[in-house]
Amino acid sequence: MPKTTKSNTQLVVSGLLNENPIFRLALSMCPAVGLTTTVMNGLLLGVAVLFVQVFSSCTISLIRNHIHPRIRIPTYTLTIATWVTVIDLLLAAFVPVAYKAMGIFVRLIVAFAIITMRLEVFACKNDLVPSFWDGVGMGLGFLFGMTLLGGVREILGMGSFLGYDLLGFRPLLFFVLPAAGFFTVGFMMAIFNYVETVYNRRKKERMA
Amino acid sequence: MREIVKITIALTISCLVAGTVMGGVFMFTAKAKLQSEAMLRQQTLLGLLGYGDNHPAPADLKLSHVYRYILSDDTGIRSGYLVLVLNGSQIQHEFLIVDRDGGFVNRHPVTIPPEKAATESDRNAAIQHVLGQAVTIRYADDMIIASQNDIRTAYVLLGKFPGFKTFIHAMVALNSGFGILGMEITAHEEDPGLGGEIEKDFFKNQFRDRSLEVVKGLTVTKDPLPDDYRFYLEPQKWEDRQIDEADAAALKEKYQAADIHAISGATISSRCVTDGVRQLVKNFSYRIQILDRVMSEKQIHAAF
Repeated sequence: MPKTTKSNTQLVVSGLLNENPIFRLALSMCPAVGLTTTVMNGLLLGVAVLFVQVFSSCTISLIRNHIHPRIRIPTYTLTIATWVTVIDLLLAAFVPVAYKAMGIFVRLIVAFAIITMRLEVFACKNDLVPSFWDGVGMGLGFLFGMTLLGGVREILGMGSFLGYDLLGFRPLLFFVLPAAGFFTVGFMMAIFNYVETVYNRRKKERMA
Repeated sequence: MREIVKITIALTISCLVAGTVMGGVFMFTAKAKLQSEAMLRQQTLLGLLGYGDNHPAPADLKLSHVYRYILSDDTGIRSGYLVLVLNGSQIQHEFLIVDRDGGFVNRHPVTIPPEKAATESDRNAAIQHVLGQAVTIRYADDMIIASQNDIRTAYVLLGKFPGFKTFIHAMVALNSGFGILGMEITAHEEDPGLGGEIEKDFFKNQFRDRSLEVVKGLTVTKDPLPDDYRFYLEPQKWEDRQIDEADAAALKEKYQAADIHAISGATISSRCVTDGVRQLVKNFSYRIQILDRVMSEKQIHAAF
């Protein structure tokens, strides 16, 4: 991918919708399937990924001319690991309550495919500003996807939202089990695809 | 060849930079982390004693630490206790040395400001200074004695014991008769979802309300947890199955001498916690009696 020609707004929107990490790129599916049993989990992990993605993208785009091409992947991993550790330490020190809830997830972020992929595809070829907005877009897209999945699964599986009892009963307990993660992601992807097809068709009709 | 050297240098520099950044942040946050951990520990401690947001601790509640040390030199192994004592009207630290049969050996006044006594390194240095370099000291554990108006109301033990993977750190609150008030796992590295369940209510609350005699013979059973007991142990989770007070008392009575029900898939972790808590409580009840006897024999007035 050569240097991007998209505007900053386009970068954010594409991260959220037509290049959404979970529903379009299908990257980082392990957390998307495994950890989205409640809205809160999805939200916390999404926020953490957003920060790591933005910081790592900025770092790599700043030092991209000094990275030896043969060791770029180790350098990306090192950068991500550094930022994850920094966030982990800061959370532990200053927000102990949040750290108790999400500490274990934060450390998992090092292994998320989406961050490495964005560094390889985008940040190492673009300047700081577009990389920043791409990081924001991808992070928000991930946050959006995780929260949506968490919301659907929590409402259908536990009948609650953000821990508050909404329905008073558990409609489909199956949805909190790991296997249901795949179904939910699959259905969401189908909905995304359908909406996109309809949107494109209408756009074509309007053009014609 | 030149390429290899270049790559090596580049990787080394990247690692050094990353290490420096992480190290810098660690140094910057270490103090705040310790503070927030201490705050959480204090909260857990008060929670175990039954105090919380809705029911704040009374102003005259006094929490006094007793730090236990293992001393070794040419003559053998002895235990030492750093306690707060009343000397006239002055409260000061004193280090009491007791031999293995519980006989009094020696007492040394230790000058250390109370806020420094909580830090392990400062405390060790102060004690080492008093005892001299010939004795090797090793910090063993910390027991907290809660008192109100000079009457002891509860004890809190901070201990660690081997788990399935590494050490499990736990906090056990006892009433004045050494029965368990509550147990809390403060740190562990058991497998999430299996051994990690030891910190869940349905497991840790099983230790509640057990007398010293029961604890001494506590064992683990692999039988499934009965439903009525589960509702009693996890009142927050089963709000629709609220148990009224009479039923709760009956359930408490029914299960107070029962075995600990193991977590399915984590029998070893369950056994480790049960053995650890049993040992902790048993040893404490023995040690505190020795300490009390020694202090009353030698006319040492404890400040708790």
